Amino acid sequence: MQSAVGSWREGTTALVGRRGAIRLVAVAVPALAAATALVWMLEDRFGVLDASPVYLLAVVVTALVSGTLGALTTAVVGIVLYDYLFAQPVHTLAISDPGEWLSLILLLFVGLVVGQLTALERKRTLTAEAREREARELFLTSRALATRASTTTVLPEIAELLRRSTEVDSLRIALGPNDGSERTAAESGDAAGAGRSALHWQLRRTPGDEPAQWVRIHSPSASRRQEPRQGIDLFRVRIEAGGRPLGSIWASRSRRGGLPDRSATRLLSAAADQIGQALAQDRLAAEAGAAEVARQSDALKSALLQSVSHDLRTPLATIRAAAGTLRPDSDLDSPGRMASAEAIEREVARLDRLVANLLDLGRIEAGELRAEIDVFMLDDLAARTIDRFGSRFAGHSVVTDIPALPVSVDPVFLDEALANLLDNALKFAGPNAAIRIAAAQVGDRVRLTVDDDGQGVPDELLDRVFEKFYRAPAAGAMARPGTGVGLAVVRGLVEAMGGQVEARKSALGGLSVALDLPLAHLPAELATAPTR
Amino acid sequence: MSGPGATVLVVEDDDEARAVLVRELGSRGYRTQEAADGRSAMERWEASRPDVILLDLGLPDIDGLEVIRRIRRESQTPIVILSGRFAEREKVEALERGADDYVTKPFGLAELHARLRVALRRAAGPSADRHGRIVVGPLLFDAGRHEVSVDGRAVDLAPREFELLRVLLGEQGRVVTKGKLLRAVWGQAYQGEDSYVYVHVSQLRHKLAAADPAGALRDLIATEPGVGYRVRDAET
Repeated sequence: MQSAVGSWREGTTALVGRRGAIRLVAVAVPALAAATALVWMLEDRFGVLDASPVYLLAVVVTALVSGTLGALTTAVVGIVLYDYLFAQPVHTLAISDPGEWLSLILLLFVGLVVGQLTALERKRTLTAEAREREARELFLTSRALATRASTTTVLPEIAELLRRSTEVDSLRIALGPNDGSERTAAESGDAAGAGRSALHWQLRRTPGDEPAQWVRIHSPSASRRQEPRQGIDLFRVRIEAGGRPLGSIWASRSRRGGLPDRSATRLLSAAADQIGQALAQDRLAAEAGAAEVARQSDALKSALLQSVSHDLRTPLATIRAAAGTLRPDSDLDSPGRMASAEAIEREVARLDRLVANLLDLGRIEAGELRAEIDVFMLDDLAARTIDRFGSRFAGHSVVTDIPALPVSVDPVFLDEALANLLDNALKFAGPNAAIRIAAAQVGDRVRLTVDDDGQGVPDELLDRVFEKFYRAPAAGAMARPGTGVGLAVVRGLVEAMGGQVEARKSALGGLSVALDLPLAHLPAELATAPTR
Repeated sequence: MSGPGATVLVVEDDDEARAVLVRELGSRGYRTQEAADGRSAMERWEASRPDVILLDLGLPDIDGLEVIRRIRRESQTPIVILSGRFAEREKVEALERGADDYVTKPFGLAELHARLRVALRRAAGPSADRHGRIVVGPLLFDAGRHEVSVDGRAVDLAPREFELLRVLLGEQGRVVTKGKLLRAVWGQAYQGEDSYVYVHVSQLRHKLAAADPAGALRDLIATEPGVGYRVRDAET
């Protein structure tokens, strides 16, 4: 497929196109008419002998507007007019005076020079305009790429921009390491010509300053003989970075449009380069991100081991000791055995909660926590969790004030979150603690709070209690038990349900943790829930 | 056959856990069969047709859900799932496919026995008397007269609440999934739209609580988060 056959350079545009001819006539005819009128006035009224240089004015004006050919044409017509209308013998085209020959040659020469100068100037202006447009479009492309979240999201915008500025019918940006695996990432314009016979061109770019060239590509299936005038041209610019192919820009337009001009070619080429670099950057960023995740994950693991080993060992030690006392050869009495069995069950429950929290934390960290939201009455759900703590609340003064409010939550998540808060309150508030569990509607949220009268957390550290492995320093000498996992899990679970957490100083004196949960809107026939 | 004397097939791949279960069940008078994977579970089931199956979902060879499917093709033998934590979805799926109940590891033996007893009783037939009346403590549910009362005080229930209570009481002691409640109360065709099942049940609970100042029915209908509801077993 890679056999280059023809090559193409930017052709010189015809000196006078159709539009040029119209412009020439529009300028030259009035200019010649005016010059002729002036000559007539000068020669007839003021007696000037030879006013033919006046035609220079017409030639210069025409040259300014339509270039060399227009100037020469005007010069010739001007001379012919002068010769016919004013030179002796009048009304013939014969030239008797050698001076008129001089005038003619002069006119032609001036026309040529001015025309060339004008053409040069015009070309400079056009080039400058094209450069400016190119720069502006390149700027738009780079800006789109620079402000992107990811390259692929801005490709449609770039495709649209490129299609309009390069004046092709359709433009497609496809990504993939090779021809077979290229997938369209963005498309602009309608690919109406897709079915028609297409000539394939590829932009050959060289590392040096040499301008890129369009190279004809023959697909093996296409016949070499015919080059249909109908159909479309398909232009491909490869997107590469560091020599690695990343995809292509495909542009197509009908055969009549010819090849993209130099400015369009440069634009396509530069856009391909920028997209390539942006993609390479994306890849680097992703790799760096993965490395960072891995690093954090390592840090997490070591913190986890440190933090958890104590909390795992303590219940295990208790269980092992208690199990020993249950052996048939132990001389423990019946109430003692009962106490041992209960100790085992209690410690197992503790381990179970710890394991649940660690698993939750793992899922939160991995972003795998998916809430299954349904509408519940908060009092029902909370009552179940609180009931489970029944025996552990013995000896504490526990007040609950939870009205029947509809909430949109995942019941399992809410259960785990509330259980963690109650655990925390029991753990930190100590024996005989007062605990208050309350809920109230605040706007379109339902605020569920758990307060205790323990030592609380210093104000400046309140924000940190939800960080994983963070343990507030002990206010007294008593070392605090806990893994620093519970509240981090609470936050993860609540946020997964679209809620928020907040820690404050409690009116009871200790810590107050609030869960803001989404209020559910019930249909009218259900909204009349009885309150207690 | 119900209660002790019944044959339990214990399908659990962890040897230690299986040994403890077999020992405990044996000490309570159950006869036991064991299987460590899905294939031998199917073989045992074919050979001995146990009265109830204790099935761990995480088996090394065949998916536990597949085991349920194969058994349900041929029989209604009660199946109680031994489920791991965080397997709510799997648990619900197992229940929807025909499992009768579940216990979540680590479970207490008291809980396990309660589930087994209910599963075996369910296999024996419905719990209503021949007039369609169900009594749970002070609660009287009379399907024939379409009445519900607590200690003789009538409770005024909306039609959906009445139906919910009927379905829940019909499955005393057993978990009832949200999907089953939806199908039974809102109908087979009811799909996808939010039915506020939990809100209806909550209102039902509030009405019962209002008629029950003594609080005897306080935990009659327990929420099983992520799964559904369970009505307290009258015999527990």
